[in-house]
Formats: sequence, C-alpha cells, structure tokens
Amino acid sequence: MVLAEWAVELKEVRKTYRTGPIDVPALRGVSLQIAAGEFAAVAGPSGSGKTTLLNIIGGLDRADAGEVWVAGQNLQLLSSGELAHLRLQRIGFVFQTYNLLPVLSALENAEFTLLLQGVPAHKRREKVEKLFSEVGLAGLEDRRPAELSGGQQQRVAVARAMVTEPALILADEPTANLDSATAIALLDVMEHLNRVTGTTFIFSTHDPQVMERAHRFIRLRDGQITSDETRDRQAAGVAAKGDAV
Amino acid sequence: MRSALLLVKIGWRNLWRNPRGTLLTASALGLGLALLLISLGLLDGGHEQTIADGVRLGPGHVVIQAKGYQDSGSDELLLPAQVVSGIEGFLQTAEMKKLVRGVSPRLLATGLLSSSANSAGVRIMGVIPQDEPAVSFIPQRVVEGTYLSDDRPSGVVIGAELARELEVKIGSRVVLMTQALRQPGIETKNGAGEEMQSTLLRVSGIFRTGLGAVDANIIQLPLPAAQTLLGLPDGQVTQVALLLQQEGDSAMVARALRKQLTGGTVEVLTWRESIPMLAQILGLDHAFNYIMNGVILAMVGLGILNTILMRVLERRYEFGVCKALGLRPGQLAVMVIGESLALTAISLALGLALGLSVEHYFATSGLDLRWIFKTDLPSALVLDPILYSRLSSNRIIWSVSIVFAMATIISFYPALKAARTELPDALKGL
Repeated sequence: MVLAEWAVELKEVRKTYRTGPIDVPALRGVSLQIAAGEFAAVAGPSGSGKTTLLNIIGGLDRADAGEVWVAGQNLQLLSSGELAHLRLQRIGFVFQTYNLLPVLSALENAEFTLLLQGVPAHKRREKVEKLFSEVGLAGLEDRRPAELSGGQQQRVAVARAMVTEPALILADEPTANLDSATAIALLDVMEHLNRVTGTTFIFSTHDPQVMERAHRFIRLRDGQITSDETRDRQAAGVAAKGDAV
Repeated sequence: MRSALLLVKIGWRNLWRNPRGTLLTASALGLGLALLLISLGLLDGGHEQTIADGVRLGPGHVVIQAKGYQDSGSDELLLPAQVVSGIEGFLQTAEMKKLVRGVSPRLLATGLLSSSANSAGVRIMGVIPQDEPAVSFIPQRVVEGTYLSDDRPSGVVIGAELARELEVKIGSRVVLMTQALRQPGIETKNGAGEEMQSTLLRVSGIFRTGLGAVDANIIQLPLPAAQTLLGLPDGQVTQVALLLQQEGDSAMVARALRKQLTGGTVEVLTWRESIPMLAQILGLDHAFNYIMNGVILAMVGLGILNTILMRVLERRYEFGVCKALGLRPGQLAVMVIGESLALTAISLALGLALGLSVEHYFATSGLDLRWIFKTDLPSALVLDPILYSRLSSNRIIWSVSIVFAMATIISFYPALKAARTELPDALKGL
C-alpha cells in the first residue's frame, strides 16, 4: 500500500464549462497540496471556482486536464463506481443547504453512510450517539429535519460527514445559511473534530468568521489561486475568538 | 441487505411525504385491478352461463353420434341399438357416474307440423321423457301444460312461437308428417323407407326459451313415437347427449368414450366441436375483453408512470445528495423500485378490496341485464337476464400478477432515470 504524501494534491487542474456556444473556464491550471489534518478555507468571489474546486476534489466532477490525487488515488483514473466507493469510504460532505433526507430522523440521516458501509446496528448507534453528544445534538435523535433549526440540521450534516471517520471533509459554504452565533458554534464543532480526530477539513466560504478561523487560507479569483496563506493554528483560533467577542 | 432495507424504508416514507398524491395514484392503479377483476368475473360468469345454456339447448357437453353426422347433418346416419346400449353400460361405471349428470338418447329428423289453422316446418326431437330433463333446457321452460311423460305416448311439446303460428293450445291436436328414414343397406321395419309418414299428436306442453329459432322450430315427442313414425327399429337414435357435472371435464370424458367406442362407426364430440360457432363467439369475446382490459391497464399504467416519473424528477437534487454521499446508481434504482413496489402493494390492497367486494355482489345478487336493456332482452346467447359473476382463484392470481408485473416494469424507467442522476448538475439543481 502506498502512503499518501498529501491528503489532497492537485497538479495543473483545468475545468471549463460549456454554456451554449460559450466556454466558461472555471479552473485555470490550479496546483495545490493540502496535508493531512489541515483546516483550510477556500475563499473568493462568486464564480471564482470555489465550488468547482471542491467538487473536483470530492470526485463529484471531473477535471478536463491535470491530476487530482485524494487519499493516494488519482481520481482521473477512477470509474464512477470507484469514485462512489471513495466518497463513501474516505470523504465526507457538508453542503450549504444541509441536504438531509427529509423522510429520515436525525439519527437515521447521520447513520445513512454507515448503513451503506454495512456497519452493524449497535456500532452505528454507538458512533452516532457519541458524535451527537459531541456536536450538541443529544436528545434530538428522533426528530425529522423539518423539526430542527438550521444550525441543528447543519450539525446533523456534520455528524453524517464525520461518522464514517473519513480522511477528508469537504464543506461548501457550511455557514452560509446560519446566523452569526450558530455559525460560530458550528465552527467550534468542526475545529474540535479536526483537532481531536485529525480529519482534514476543506471548506469554501464567503464568511469572514470562517476565513479567520481557518489555519490555511486559499484565495481564488477567476479560476486561479491568487494567495495561499498558512497561519499558526493557535493564532487563527485567538483571532477568531477575539472577533467573536 | 441492511442498506437495501434502509432504501426500502426511505422509499416507503417517501410515499407518505404526499399522502394525497400517493392515495390518488394507488386508487388509480387499484381501480384498474378492480375493473379487471369485475370484468373477468362477469365475462367468465357470462361465458359459463352461455355454455350451460348452449349445451342444454344443443347436444350437451359431449355427444356421441354416427360418424359423419356432424359434417353431413344427414338424419339417415344413426347409432345402432347395440352401440347405444354399450354407451349406456360404459356410463354406468363408477368413474363415469361421478362425472356425468345426465344422459339422453335422441332421434332427430325434420317434418311438417299441421294444425287445423296452419302448417310449419319443424325439427323433430324424439326423446325419453324421464331422461331429457337432466340434459336439456326445454323441459324446464315449459310455460303452459306439462312436459312429456310415458303415460301420454302421443303427447308433444312445442315452442310458444310455433303454438302462436299454428294457433294451438294445450290439448290441441296436431298432425306431424315426415319422411321415413332408411339406413343405407338396412331394410327398415314394416318395409318403411323414403315414404311419407304421419301421426296424430296432442299438444301437452308449450315452452318458451326466449330464442326465436328454438321457440318456432323445435318440437319434442316421446322416442318410441318418433321411432315408429320414422320407421326405425327400437333403440336406433341419432345421438346420445351427455351433460356433465363440470364443463371442464368435457375433453376428458370425450377421450374416455373414444377409447371405449373403437371401430370407427361413431364420432364423439365435445361441445366445442359440436357447436363450433359458440366456441368461436366465446373465443372472440375473450379476445375482445383481453384487448379492452389491456387498454384500461395501459392507460392506468401510463398514469402511474407519469406520477412516479414526476416524483423522481422533483427529487433529483435529493438523489444527487445520496449519490454524493456514496450511494451507487444501482442502489438508487433499488430505492425507486422499492418505492414503486410499496405503492403497488397499497394499490393491490385497494384494488382487491374494491374488486372482490363488487364481484361478490355480482356473484350472489347478479347483474340484471334488463336494467341495462330496459325492455326484454334481445335474442342473445345468454338466456337468463341475470348475469352471475364467476371468478376463480386462478383468475385473481393472474390479475394481481399482471398488475404487479406491469407496475414493476413501469418503475424501471423512473429507476433508470434516478440511477443516471448526473453529478454535480443535480446538486446545482440543474
């Protein structure tokens, strides 16, 4: 087995969307390495390519050119089925609009991916309950998404992403629909999990609070990286807490 | 397996996101099944009644007659007395007695029946008065007077139409004139043969079947009187008609008789062979009914397809999320098929409840066709104006299987659509 040097590595990745007769370049030769355990934010204006970048890293979309390595595997060489397997086993997703399955309870949503992995019931229950108490959802296991607040739904989404203990979590603007206090609470949860489990977090954001909390801050513009800043973990935390106060 | 159960659970719960829509869709499919059950019940009931009436007006479920009679219709082709006694002996075996309800030897000929007022061409049936009621419909349809009996050897029963034409009533005297029969190569009794014979009869009963051709042409008289008139030795008849306990045994009984009656002088026919037109009409009716049911089911099926497809298309984003989380295309398809099957199960329960309730009503109280036709029934194959439904368990299983198979096949296309959900367009809501 080949150990991955990087959790994520992109080499000259290009992606162009065709809108009618017009070609719209989304990524123009992006190269990037993200180490295991990083807590990284990708920021930039609308149309800068943030979501495209996350989709390509997550195997939801394919690059037109370049190489995309995640957990030691070149995604460009994987079939759709292999990509689905990689997503299920190694990657967790948190979406802007939570995207919980409305017909399942909070607990069932969180254990959805574990079920797909074939984890037995008692282990699923054990893992989900532990995570729920960590993210502050204890006692809400049986509620349906419609019976939860936005912040609670997003915590369920984080629990769903975390429960399989993936190597990488991709979060597309996770705080975009949350109020300021709820967003901070969610970031606390995500950062705590990053610190405790060592899971790599990459999230796209417009939110200054998120940018402040990131240990690594990558700025995109017109499909290209314009800045890539690594900050001291403690400094990032202090800055954020100061802002919050 | 665990994940398949979850997918079925999601499918089931998805159904109840829109209970009204689900119940409406289930009702449409259930109504399709109910209509199928009701129409098949009435069809089978109608056919059973038609066959029962047809064979009791005609030659029974199975008929034994001289070889060639079916094709030529020649009244000179007769069954010898020893063949008739051989048949009667065979039908007395324990195995046959269980299957056969009635046996009636008949002598058939044509003649002219005259009253003081008028004359009419008739079809003569010489019958044994105590045997014929077990096989024929006519003795039960005597509306005036009484049926034939051995103590009235010169009695005759005639149809109501014929009675009206001849202007006769019970007790009236009529003269039956016919040409004496002569079997080829056999000298007939009293030297008779190809000579006009006549006899004086007295009208003992008038019957009304509702079929004009029967009521205006058929007459029945005791077999000995007919044999004497036609100049035939005792025991010679045209045919032996058998009525069975169950129509479905016709072919088996006919086979057994053919095996017994070797020698090539007789033909043994089931009602399908002796009344081919009736069999053809019923076959045509079956085919037409199948086409109509097919059209109904296709229309219901298209409605279901539309509903399930809409359900799938409006949840494209949700399927995108599932796929992003690692659900494989095949698992997505299983989820949609599971949902469709759950919908089908509800539909089948509704359809069976409705269909079997209505069918039970028609099976016990019957469907009165006079309510539809308002006046008397037109000349039709069904003589009883009340149609009773008959639905076998095989028919129910067949109908449920057809609807279930249709719904399952229909669900494949939406399932395929769901499985082909493209990432990341689905997540963008494209």
